[in-house]
Amino acid sequence: MKIQTQSLCFYYHRQQVLRDINLHLPANKITAITGPSGSGKSTLLMAFNRLWEEIDGCRISGEVFMHLNGQNTNIYNPTLPLLELRRKVGMVFQQPNPLPMSISKNIAFPLRLAHIHDKRLVGQKVESALRKVALWDEVKDRLNDDGRLLSGGQQQRLCLARALVLRPEVLLLDEPTSSLDPDASAAIEELLLSLKTKCTLIMVSHYQDQIQRIADLHVQVLNGQCSISSNSLPENPSNRLSMN
Amino acid sequence: MRKTIESCITFFSWGALFLLLMALFTLIAYLIQKGADSIQLSLFFGDTTPLDALLLRRQVFDGLFPAIAGTFILIACSMLIAIPIGVAGGIYMAEYCKGKLKPLFNLTFDILAGIPSIVVGLAGLLLTILLNRHFPRQIAPCLLLSCLCLALLVLPYLIRTTQTALESIDPLIRKTAPALGASRSQNITLVLLPHSISDIISGIILATGRCAEDTAVIMLTGVVATAGFPRSLLGQYEALPFYIYYISSQYTGPEELANGFGAAIILLLLCIGLLGLALWIQRRFTTFLLFR
Repeated sequence: MKIQTQSLCFYYHRQQVLRDINLHLPANKITAITGPSGSGKSTLLMAFNRLWEEIDGCRISGEVFMHLNGQNTNIYNPTLPLLELRRKVGMVFQQPNPLPMSISKNIAFPLRLAHIHDKRLVGQKVESALRKVALWDEVKDRLNDDGRLLSGGQQQRLCLARALVLRPEVLLLDEPTSSLDPDASAAIEELLLSLKTKCTLIMVSHYQDQIQRIADLHVQVLNGQCSISSNSLPENPSNRLSMN
Repeated sequence: MRKTIESCITFFSWGALFLLLMALFTLIAYLIQKGADSIQLSLFFGDTTPLDALLLRRQVFDGLFPAIAGTFILIACSMLIAIPIGVAGGIYMAEYCKGKLKPLFNLTFDILAGIPSIVVGLAGLLLTILLNRHFPRQIAPCLLLSCLCLALLVLPYLIRTTQTALESIDPLIRKTAPALGASRSQNITLVLLPHSISDIISGIILATGRCAEDTAVIMLTGVVATAGFPRSLLGQYEALPFYIYYISSQYTGPEELANGFGAAIILLLLCIGLLGLALWIQRRFTTFLLFR
């Protein structure tokens, strides 16, 4: 098991968003989280990298265990370094969010945050991250251009590369394709499938067909409670056309 | 009916704009008409040669040079004190202040922003008297005290603009760096501040203008009609707004009054110059350049 939650409850001010969540998520699989708007999908995702702590009025109870650096860790253990956790658990958001800096600086940003300044090493890592998301050939001649000038799909792949540059063990994706056109979405989906061997992916998605295409497990969030099922439906080729 | 109302609103908006521009141009034209003739080298340096005055070889007693220099030093020192404290205060308010303290502090700064400058000047005077009692003959009304009081006067603007600038950053941008493993201070220095630098500079521009034009505070804390070029922060000094005030209330002849108008033009130009400088900095420091 890569991630295990025990009686996880989440509160936003006085409202309880998640109730008694007990999930077991396996390693090297894509787990899709679905549910109606406001049901707590993104909240559940943020419970895995403790990003909710950046938002005022949030509170959590229960435990989340994660298999990191070869050992089982309670990520809410107060002695666990939070920044270390966030470097091991990457996240990509719904809207591509490149920072207003050059493409290479965007990718190198997490390295800078982790105080890795060796230029050659940074250059290598930037290149390998861009290759991983199949963006290298498209941008290798303009690494110093503003990252925000790329197309939406390229920006999202840039953000994916940025999340991958620190080699996270878990990758959280909050509707990563919902702002993209079908072609760009297909490219991202292919990428996610290829990443399965290296990390565990947890993805919030609205698209049933997308889930059937790439997810191994399916977690449904409804009224703050979760049900999990394996995604064994056969792939339907017509889904590719009916996307969006 | 609806069309009439709409055209009324349009007419009224244009009218308001026209009125404002007319007022501004009338004011400038009036100043120029009254003071343009007096703008000569002698207005700045009096009998002293410009080179001697600029190199501080000879004091200027019948020109604006000491007042211009005094105003510049006053603005520079006040902002040097106010900017770090104001921006740090704004960062605290936006990023660290939580719970019930926050509305309380917000109210405090709003009240502080509403204090009339003459009251701040009085507080400065009171401080001078207190200090004078403890260090007789060492502390008297001086440039440093004026700077401190002006800094206090503009501090709430700086705090509130910095706070508002930081709080209005898109939540997605706010989450970007923490999700990549940034500490709170890294997020503030590497992402949030560069994102809001343009708004913060706007606040600084407003505060600078306030420092340049304020008369009440400096009148009570150290400015005098004749002091020469300010040699020390603990000495008295001259400043343009006070010169204008002084001349307009005590002029002895039409020539002196013309000098007052000349000084008003110089103060206006100085403010325009500072605004231009600030806008240039603002443009140079656009987010992308800062991030590079």
